[in-house]
Amino acid sequence: MQAGTSTTHEAHDAHDHIHPPPEGFVRKYVFSLDHKVIGFQYFFTGLLIMFIAGSFAELVRLQLTDPNGAIMSHTAYNEMFSMHGTAMVWLVLIPLVTGALGNFVMPLQIGARDVAFPWLNMASFWILPVAALILFSSMLWGGPHAGWTEYPPISLADGTAGALWCLAIFTIGISSTMTGLNFMVTIMKMRAPGMTWTRMPLFIWATFATALMNMVATVALSVAVGALFLEHVFSVPFFDPARGGSVVLYQHMFWFYSHPAVYIFIIPAFGVVSEVLPTFARKPIFGYKMIAFSSMAISILAFTVWMHHMFPSGIAPWLQLPFMILTYAIGIPTGIKIFSWMATIWGGRIHFTSSMLYALGFLITFTFGGLSGIFLASVPVDLHMHGTVFVVGHFHYVVAGGAVMGFLAAVPYWYPKATGRMLNERLAQLGFWLFFIGLNGTFLPMHWLGLEGMPRRTATYAGFAKAFPDAVFWNQFETAFSFLMAAAIGLLAFNVIWSLRHGTLAGINPWGARTLEWTISSPPPYYNFKKIPQVFDRPYNFDQPLPYRNTDNELDEFPEFGRVLMPIPQPVGAGA
Amino acid sequence: MFQSPSVVRFKGLGPGFWPVTIVLALLSIANAWYFLYGNIDWIMPGASQPVADRASDIDGLFKFMAVSSGAIMIFVAGYVIYFAIAFRARPTDSPDTIGVQIHDSPKLELWWTVLPALLLILLTALSINVWYKIYFGTKAPALTMEVIGHQFYFEFRYPGLKTSVFSKTEPMHLPVGVPVRLLITSTDVIHQFWVPEIRLKSAGVPGLVQSLNFTPLRTGTYDIACAEFCGADHSLMRGKLVIEPVATFNKWLDSENKTAAAGGGAINLAGGSAGTGKTLFAQKCAACHNNPPTPFDQKLVGPGLLHITDDPAHPTLVTGKTPTPEHIAEILQNGFTGPIGTMPNRQANGLSDKDIANAVAYLTSLK
Amino acid sequence: MAAAAAQHLSGHDAIAARYRDVDPVYGETRDIRLLGFVFFLLSDCILFSSFIFAYVYLRISAPAWPPFLGGHQLPWFDTSFAAMNSIVLFGSGVTMHFALENWKHLNKAKFNGWLIATIVLGIGFLLGQAHEYSVVGISWTGTTMGASFFTLTGMHGFHVFAGVCYLTILGLQANRGTYTGSKYFGLTAGTLYWHFVDVIWVFLFFLFYIW
Ligand code: HEA
Ligand code: HEA
Ligand code: HEC
Ligand code: CUA
Ligand SMILES: [Cu+2]
Repeated sequence: MQAGTSTTHEAHDAHDHIHPPPEGFVRKYVFSLDHKVIGFQYFFTGLLIMFIAGSFAELVRLQLTDPNGAIMSHTAYNEMFSMHGTAMVWLVLIPLVTGALGNFVMPLQIGARDVAFPWLNMASFWILPVAALILFSSMLWGGPHAGWTEYPPISLADGTAGALWCLAIFTIGISSTMTGLNFMVTIMKMRAPGMTWTRMPLFIWATFATALMNMVATVALSVAVGALFLEHVFSVPFFDPARGGSVVLYQHMFWFYSHPAVYIFIIPAFGVVSEVLPTFARKPIFGYKMIAFSSMAISILAFTVWMHHMFPSGIAPWLQLPFMILTYAIGIPTGIKIFSWMATIWGGRIHFTSSMLYALGFLITFTFGGLSGIFLASVPVDLHMHGTVFVVGHFHYVVAGGAVMGFLAAVPYWYPKATGRMLNERLAQLGFWLFFIGLNGTFLPMHWLGLEGMPRRTATYAGFAKAFPDAVFWNQFETAFSFLMAAAIGLLAFNVIWSLRHGTLAGINPWGARTLEWTISSPPPYYNFKKIPQVFDRPYNFDQPLPYRNTDNELDEFPEFGRVLMPIPQPVGAGA
Repeated sequence: MFQSPSVVRFKGLGPGFWPVTIVLALLSIANAWYFLYGNIDWIMPGASQPVADRASDIDGLFKFMAVSSGAIMIFVAGYVIYFAIAFRARPTDSPDTIGVQIHDSPKLELWWTVLPALLLILLTALSINVWYKIYFGTKAPALTMEVIGHQFYFEFRYPGLKTSVFSKTEPMHLPVGVPVRLLITSTDVIHQFWVPEIRLKSAGVPGLVQSLNFTPLRTGTYDIACAEFCGADHSLMRGKLVIEPVATFNKWLDSENKTAAAGGGAINLAGGSAGTGKTLFAQKCAACHNNPPTPFDQKLVGPGLLHITDDPAHPTLVTGKTPTPEHIAEILQNGFTGPIGTMPNRQANGLSDKDIANAVAYLTSLK
Repeated sequence: MAAAAAQHLSGHDAIAARYRDVDPVYGETRDIRLLGFVFFLLSDCILFSSFIFAYVYLRISAPAWPPFLGGHQLPWFDTSFAAMNSIVLFGSGVTMHFALENWKHLNKAKFNGWLIATIVLGIGFLLGQAHEYSVVGISWTGTTMGASFFTLTGMHGFHVFAGVCYLTILGLQANRGTYTGSKYFGLTAGTLYWHFVDVIWVFLFFLFYIW
């Protein structure tokens, strides 16, 4: 063979070397190197922590049923929302949407056998429970009290608990960075032959944009909390104004990460929606290139808007303007996505599976949350709204109504691939209605409460209730609806476990979808693809009965399920 | 083995597209009507009768957004629901019935890029206009006062008042129709001064002073709230603001003024020894003021005190008074909390009358 | 076959031919690892940039620089000693370059010599830093100047220390036969890392000793 003839062909031969699956419980399920198992680990860890963080949220809601605080002291309340926010952001959503979905789906969709660095992947996962332990153990020292943002100087009063908070976030930051790096390399180097950048499924574009932000922004977070840690433990003056430090500096460093962070959890959800909508509308995605481009645009713009969290916090007025304008600018690529998705369902043949319901609900609730973000981005209006429950309303519409809804759309969609069985459709649909109604009932009233003058992070609001007596009613209303959301999540957890045994068998491609993961058996074998597939066309071509000519991967190899390679699209929702 | 798929067909934009569009448009108009002409006080406090000059500007911006994004929301949600119903799968479908196979439409995509961009440009222009008014467009303030955040109350300092007003016990007072400037800071953690009816807020950041300018327009009593998390009792950090006619305000100010200062009466400064003062300064002041004294802007905890009586770059004392020995002595007696921090009073610093005379003699000798 | 052909080539052509003519599994792995390593360095770079941002921010917003502590203005750093120490570090970058080049030219003895020189210079730099710390006259916890200085140079020093360990391991591996004339990704990575540490120092030197 001549030197220099190395082509994709050879490169993929290299990958055709299949390792035998690992033996023994520990190697198989605990310290597994298999991206699918790691995906499961993220999924169950994330879900478990969501129970805890969600229960904190319910305690927060219960406290607010009475203007004088119904169930706990101020300090306990402050601890609750701090832990709720921290755990939801770093231990629930980021692990779920990047860790669980990214790990399970991404290598399958690009036709790879695993991620680029399986060891690193395993290490990234195992950091998560460690960080969770550190974070929750801080509650033994009284817990962090200063919100999920932990602004100094108030957070410096948290002592040991505050230092543990920093340590936990630092650790989880390392995990995110490594995952981002791993996914970047995997997507850039390990796509199946023929899968050009414009033939990647949109979920891959989303994962790529997310990985970029994870890799770049998270380090800045590590530095922010690292410096805070040094100040806590060794009293190194970075932020202490009495010794020349600056408290505003921390806010810059924190938001430089944490603004991109909010897109870290929404963009994978965008990716999910881009998969689910075409599949169940039985149409190609509308405007593939613009959606892919807007994911990248958002991930880059995300680095340029962080000061919109700091408009009244002590930055020079002239600095507010560029950040306002750049924040507005993000509305344009996001709008492109929303409109493209609407065009995708237009003229389709829509099957109302639970995934589809969540994706449709996502379009409505996310748009609402995005639009309230546009209100906040306007400097003068933010001078009124900052620090109120309006902000809380905004971001729950985008995190719960966006990221969590996207995630909830993904679970029934890929569950059959992951387990070989369908999720119980009726329970999942019930879950959707509970979640959707609960979400709107909980977070909609926050908008006018905030505008009327209710600050966020308040353990009591007797003073406000005197000025605006309806506040009591609306807070109780919110609390009542928040339990519908809890029920929906509880139902999902039940469904996931119940269907593991009782779900109907899924077959290879229950949805008749058109991406690579649906060409292999469910659940996929250890090595995913017996032979790395060749990709000939873009995804979502529903008018072609056989989108991928992957004829070597005969289904006879996996006699458990099905007989044909790419089954004729079956009536969707067959699992119900 | 594979059947070729059967593609759905329908006329125009779909059954019922235009009627639905008209309904959505009407809803948007109703929404606009409500926000422009309805009474939205239950959403925005005091929207019908602005309490301060910037409130109506900000409300205008808010209404513009409520109208435009309300329309966007109505159309997005409306079309999503309508498409979902109109293009639902039918029981009669064969398994391979598929939707219309279109991949893109550059023209349409151009529209939905350009139109939102235009709207956002308009919004930017409107926002900048209000932003400019807030920060640069105010008349010269007739009343400049300080608002200092503490855990968990606000302290208000009026020019000429010897003692502060504390939000725990007393409301803040402002004269109606008079342009005011609030200088906002904090001595411990970050707080935010916010009066919902005035629509403005600003953080009190330790080590930093920010200003808010506005003119109160309507008398009444309003709530003050702290809008930045500041510790256990953040939720109790509230106060009242009384906006009253100028005459009433002045009367109140006079009645407050009579309260005596805590530091004792005027001290006889004659006979102070600069040499003894120097030693005293090294003992009691060097922890916070650079020793040997440096120019004003080189602060440690407190400012540098070199040339305090004749520094062209710093013509007045931090109290705003002329740098006479008497005024310096006042600071040593009563202490002072300003943007830089807190200068302790004589009790805290342990200064006798003689000490004060010596220290002042020393400081004034630094020519 | 191709390896035989490569022997008739000279210099860079020969190296390039050897480099290409590895089995595809190694070739692909090398590509993947290289990209991963570059990304690692990129994120490391952000680590330093963030602290540098903090330093610049604190310095610009300070009323006086160097800041005052206990009534006295802190001294400026001593540029001349640091400049000498920098030359030691930059010199080690040069020696590392020669080490890798010699490896590529299959010259193991010279490779060892240059590598040891690199390690010695690295250690020399660390000793210089230790000296600098003992005479600098400011503390980590006193002022923002000390906080930034010790945190940044400490982090950099830690990177140098890790680099010294890394290069030592690479040297042992190389002499045990882990790497060949065509498969030496580990050495490439080590060199990249070492150059990276040098480049970071350029910025730190400018920020603390020249600005
Ligand atoms: C990022 C993701 C995320 C998610 C998904 C959520 C989800 C929820 N959040 Fe959260 N929230 C934040 C992130 C998130 N939040 C952040 C960052 C803050 C700011 C913190 C700060 O100010 O520092 C915040 C603050 C915040 C507040 C404001 C506190 C304050 O300012 O005083 C409130 C109040 O209602 C609230 C409520 C809820 C509720 C009811 C849910 C629900 O959607 C949760 C539903 C889920 C469950 C309940 C768990 C699963 C179900 C079960 C285990 C079943 C059985 C359990 C019970 C019946 C209890 N959140
Ligand atoms: C998933 C998470 C997520 C997402 C996606 C967003 C998206 C956006 N956010 Fe949000 N935000 C948060 C999570 C998120 N945010 C959190 C957690 C906080 C609070 C943190 C804390 O303080 O605790 C916060 C706070 C926050 C603030 C600070 C408020 C304050 O504290 O004072 C601001 C201000 O600008 C803001 C703005 C925006 C904007 C403009 C968007 C945009 O990206 C939205 C873009 C989307 C749309 C605009 C809708 C779709 C578009 C169309 C249909 C096209 C047509 C539209 C127009 C022409 C307008 N957000
Ligand atoms: C705990 C710290 C502290 C100590 C001790 C202290 N000061 Fe101060 N001093 C300050 C601060 C802070 C200010 C600035 C107050 C402001 O404007 O915010 C100040 C301001 C002053 C001013 C006014 C400066 C000006 O330019 O207007 C004088 C004069 C002064 N101090 C003198 C003294 C003397 C004399 C002593 C010793 C007897 C002393 N201070 C001890 C903290 C201190
Ligand atoms: Cu002060 Cu909150
Ligand atoms: Cu943001």
